[in-house]
Amino acid sequence: MTGYTTEEPIYALATPFSPSALAVIRTSGTDAISLVQKVFKGRLTDRPNGTAVHGWIVDKNREKVDEVVALVFNHGHGYTGEEAVEIMCHGSLPVIKKISTTLEGAGFRLALKGEFTYRAFLGGRMDLTEAEAVEELVSAKGERGRKDALSRLSGSIKNEADKAKDEIINILASLEVQLDYGEDDIPEEWIFPIERVDAIINRLEKIRGTYASSRLYSQGAKVVLAGSTNAGKSSLFNALLKENRAIVSSVAGTTRDYIETECEMNGIPVRLFDTAGLRSSGDEIEKEGILRSKELMDEADLVVYVLAPGEVEPKEKMENAIYIHSKSDIAPGEGITFSSITGEGLDKVVDAITTFLSRDKRSVSDVPVIESERQERKLGETIDALKDAEKARDCSVDIIALYFQSALSALSELTGETTSDDILEVLFSSFCLGK
Amino acid sequence: MRDYEAIVIGGGHAGIEAALALSREGFDTLMITQSLDAIGRMSCNPAIGGLAKGNLVREIDALGGEMGHLIDASMIQYRILNRSRGPAVQAPRAQADKFSYSRLAKETCEKQEKLNLFMDTVVDFIIEEKDGVRRIVGVVTERGWKISAKVVVLTTGTFMEGRIFIGEYDAPSGRLGEGAALGLGKKLREYGFHVGRMKTGTPARVRKSSLDFDELEVQDGDEEMLPFSFDYEKIDRPSQNCWITFTNEETHKIIRENMHRSPLYGGKIIGKGPRYCPSIEDKVMRFPERERHQIFVEPEGVGTEEMYLNGLSSSLPEEVQHQFIRTLPGLRHCEIMRPAYAVEYDYLDPLDLLPSLESKVVSNLFVAGQTNGTSGYEEAAAQGIIAGINAAQRLKNEKPVVLGRTDAYIGVLIDDLVTKGTKEPYRMFTSRAEYRLSLRHDNADMRLTPIGYKAGLATKEKMERLEDKIEKIEAVKDLLKATKRDGKNCYQLLTQPENDIHTLSVPGLDEYSEQILSEVQLDVKYSGYLKRQDNEAERVKRQEAMIIPENFDYDKVDGISAESREKFKAIRPHSIGQAGRISGVRVSDIAILSVAIKGRNNG
Repeated sequence: MTGYTTEEPIYALATPFSPSALAVIRTSGTDAISLVQKVFKGRLTDRPNGTAVHGWIVDKNREKVDEVVALVFNHGHGYTGEEAVEIMCHGSLPVIKKISTTLEGAGFRLALKGEFTYRAFLGGRMDLTEAEAVEELVSAKGERGRKDALSRLSGSIKNEADKAKDEIINILASLEVQLDYGEDDIPEEWIFPIERVDAIINRLEKIRGTYASSRLYSQGAKVVLAGSTNAGKSSLFNALLKENRAIVSSVAGTTRDYIETECEMNGIPVRLFDTAGLRSSGDEIEKEGILRSKELMDEADLVVYVLAPGEVEPKEKMENAIYIHSKSDIAPGEGITFSSITGEGLDKVVDAITTFLSRDKRSVSDVPVIESERQERKLGETIDALKDAEKARDCSVDIIALYFQSALSALSELTGETTSDDILEVLFSSFCLGK
Repeated sequence: MRDYEAIVIGGGHAGIEAALALSREGFDTLMITQSLDAIGRMSCNPAIGGLAKGNLVREIDALGGEMGHLIDASMIQYRILNRSRGPAVQAPRAQADKFSYSRLAKETCEKQEKLNLFMDTVVDFIIEEKDGVRRIVGVVTERGWKISAKVVVLTTGTFMEGRIFIGEYDAPSGRLGEGAALGLGKKLREYGFHVGRMKTGTPARVRKSSLDFDELEVQDGDEEMLPFSFDYEKIDRPSQNCWITFTNEETHKIIRENMHRSPLYGGKIIGKGPRYCPSIEDKVMRFPERERHQIFVEPEGVGTEEMYLNGLSSSLPEEVQHQFIRTLPGLRHCEIMRPAYAVEYDYLDPLDLLPSLESKVVSNLFVAGQTNGTSGYEEAAAQGIIAGINAAQRLKNEKPVVLGRTDAYIGVLIDDLVTKGTKEPYRMFTSRAEYRLSLRHDNADMRLTPIGYKAGLATKEKMERLEDKIEKIEAVKDLLKATKRDGKNCYQLLTQPENDIHTLSVPGLDEYSEQILSEVQLDVKYSGYLKRQDNEAERVKRQEAMIIPENFDYDKVDGISAESREKFKAIRPHSIGQAGRISGVRVSDIAILSVAIKGRNNG
């Protein structure tokens, strides 16, 4: 059973999981300060309560992850009343992800929804009747619980996940039977089913891969503006950024050929690329730039092909592209038209982009971002546990069973609970047992 | 008849432990049994221990119980099971001389100060109601005795309204030839206990001199017999053989042709039987593709010709049994001495119990053993000792002893029973224990003797033995840490799979016994994996520590879902931890509940 606890070190993102200037990651639990210290360059320990410490989050190789400000709360202070550190970091999604992973490495577990509030109650930091917080607990009800998480998995994915789970249960039952019955009852030695485990891993990797919104949300969709020179790409790039203010950074490309930025369109994080115009050129550098543009277009989730007035859509259309017409202020045209100068039609462009990105995916607004993040994480945990099992294949059966149990418990959080009775059920029905 | 402080109903494996625990803690105790000749009788297989069950026996001993001593004194073969499948999940099993076992059980009870034995059958309870609480204050027997006591432990085994079946034959019996305890089951239904029926079975016993041993395969035991009890280190007794044979197509054909004569398939038996210990009929029907099933031929003791056919339990008519048993190699000329039979009996829904094994229906009544829907001598004894300890705690006005799932297989067993209930006779399995890597049989004393000592049951000598063992273990660990090889100390080296404590040749280790060395070795080898478990175990322990008051009003907590509220009210969990393990309860409901309890405790 997973459930709320106290004291155990936990962390969670306190701000929305979307690109923004700053994000706050909260931790709480016994020794939270010294645990964060393990991955923090700067001194957090032995500080007066409430000290803000400037420093760096560093990974296990002591590589810098992000420049942050950490707020230190000693025991008895802070939101939960437990020892705590709140980390203010840059609000880029990869940074948030990397810090999360780093904190897990340091011994924190991702908090359950409402768990901080729960601890605040138990720590006596909040009045029991404090309506807002009670409501948070109660409203967490609808969303918590594995059954609910279950309903979030869409049909085909759930199907695949269930199949993978059944396979794991079968393997685990064949292991458990060795532990429940002696060698005189079950004389056969257990042989590691490497091919079956590989197949489960592949199946789960596939789910993770096709689970588009998770990738969309965690990494951002790659949208590339393309078109011939002077089609109006750069104007559109700037206009889109102005319209979509959640700009995190605007990084010049490592070469002079393209510019990349992060922004958010209708709630979807987007990595927007402005590329060099496509034309034949004798200039070596420009040639190289065009080559890179083409590479970018191939990798893109979406190519937004900008056509200047008078240009027509190519006969051979790219599958991952939409075609739009610029400069509608001087030359009104058909299809999606816009003007970067007047701003006319920009909303249609944004809609067209997000519609394309969420095509054959579930409606974006139905999917709470943090949940899909959690689901992807659970899939990842399952896969890791199975890989650990493969690594431990020469160990004794009791140890190998440990890894399959971890895999099953992670996957169960996606597909619904599995109890030891479920395993015994499979065990009794598949093996003729009992003297 | 005079009054007692405690009454134990039943003299089986649960009753023995309960009665000894109560009297050893100094309480004036009466054991009432239907037959003084049947104390500690092994109704079914002549063996104690096995996977998970062996751990239970050693846990019982660690707490100050008797089962370990009884089997140590009567074992005629000893084996450690699953040596190859991981040291943490292996367990001892011993073949017993049934007759020595039960004779010693009776003798131990008779010799015990403060324990009286009396032969009669309990047919009713004396219940008093005060302030809306019903409390047991005594029992009524078949011969009309009314005996009062402050606490009562009920351990009826398969005897309460027991009925045995052999084909078309059936009779009110708890064991073949022993009358059932009639009347109490009906009374308990009237008092509002949830009473159900369960079924179990036992195979035929055949005469040793009628077997063709040249057709049987020998199964011998380990060379060395080791005790279940932690109180001594050696057992010196010659080992007896068991034998193996197999069923064949002809056996299965006879069984299939006569299936309609089985009371199990004919619908005469309504009680649910155990899936893990199916009758031969069940095995043949459920696994038709299997060409043969393995059967063990085990001696029932040293001074007897009776041999137990392990794996051939059946409720088919006797003439069918004769036919199919004689198709097995080695048994072709065998003489059946006792037939196989099925037995159906009343059990009480364990969901009506607190984790102390006290009944929620009537206070001061504790229930243990097969009466709670379990099967197995070890499971019965494990509950018996806890029921006895907690009945004594009640007499002392002290808090009940509740073992956690992280502490002991006994904790898993009782928690499963009182939290999830059971639909078939419940047997302990390794796979039921989440923290099995730390619940090894060899460290049961480290886990439980301090608890048994604190409760007043485990003796001072036992506690001192444990302290001495802990000292030695620490000393061996220090020696390992102090000895360096290639820049690493031997403690670190031992964590690597290829290294063994015996081949590292650490000076000074020769002084220590094999048991100490192997225990240290397991501690060290598993330390990495145990760490994984420890975090989870810590979390569970914290939730276990949040006790829900007995009279807690679930209706007064806002925000709990209706479904969970009903479950909480029915099961009345003892702690937040237990509440969380009730099937189908939402995490958020647990959170709300713990907030409400915390609020209440603060207020």
